[in-house]
Amino acid sequence: MKNNTKKIIIGLVCLVVLVAAFAVCWKVFGPKATKGDKHITVEVVNSEGATTDYELDTDAEFLRIAMDELHDQGFSYDGTDSEYGIMISAINGETADYATDGAYWALYVNGEYGQYGCDSQPVTDGDTYTWTYEKAQ
Amino acid sequence: MSNSTSGRITILDIAQIGLMVAVIEVSKAALAFLPNIELTSFWIIMFTLFFGWKIVAVVPVFILIEGSIYGMNLWWIMYLYAWPLLVLIAWFLRKNDSAIFWAIVSGIFGLCFGALCSIPYVVIGWSSGGFANGIRAGFVWWIAGIPWDFIHCAGNFVLMLVLYRPVNGAMKKLKASNV
Repeated sequence: MKNNTKKIIIGLVCLVVLVAAFAVCWKVFGPKATKGDKHITVEVVNSEGATTDYELDTDAEFLRIAMDELHDQGFSYDGTDSEYGIMISAINGETADYATDGAYWALYVNGEYGQYGCDSQPVTDGDTYTWTYEKAQ
Repeated sequence: MSNSTSGRITILDIAQIGLMVAVIEVSKAALAFLPNIELTSFWIIMFTLFFGWKIVAVVPVFILIEGSIYGMNLWWIMYLYAWPLLVLIAWFLRKNDSAIFWAIVSGIFGLCFGALCSIPYVVIGWSSGGFANGIRAGFVWWIAGIPWDFIHCAGNFVLMLVLYRPVNGAMKKLKASNV
């Protein structure tokens, strides 16, 4: 019984320490939105490889808000909202249907594969956000 | 529990393995609308504790079914080692019979699931741009998912804490009846 209690206490301490360590990592290295004016570029590479560029001056903190502001320039998107954020299904009227042919809209930030959805992707001054039509290998 | 006293796999064993896979799949599908809340960890731990070697067949079948339903993409590679690792952990700790103890184990597994799943990104990053690039790729991927790891941890902890005793009792009765 005593041994069992000891194991539980050690386990609880491990769990608490891990949660604290993860929280610190998230706080230090997680995405950080910046307030104020920013100049960004949003690129769209469609299924034929054609690129369309949009320049935007914005104070949006997250990409989705900046994308909404691009509406006046002819940029459009569609998708399904979920607990994970919006799942983009169409950009500028072109739908990527994963169920049909493994196609999807991938988000790149300054040429590197994005780690966040557009709801939680922070907008940083000077960054380029590229939506690319891709197919699963 | 097992009729395989001769070392052969019996029809009863196969039926039990099939039922275990079905229970995991149905539970997974039923909770699919809740992000990162799952009963897979719970069932894999319980089946390892009560059905012993049969879990060695259950986990590969479960992984294959998942791959056939959703496609064998990168996440599927993660399944190949994450769930067998949970089986190993449960097997090594099998002598413990405390709901809170298993809730902690399941919670820690859920918390570390994102870190475990970042390993393929380390390998991909390493192969394309060196070791440092691999570590960076895996680290960034892990950091991005930490809020979901917290949900996974809390879900696993609570589900195990609530379900361990009743399911443990039911499985003990099942074992006593030698079905």
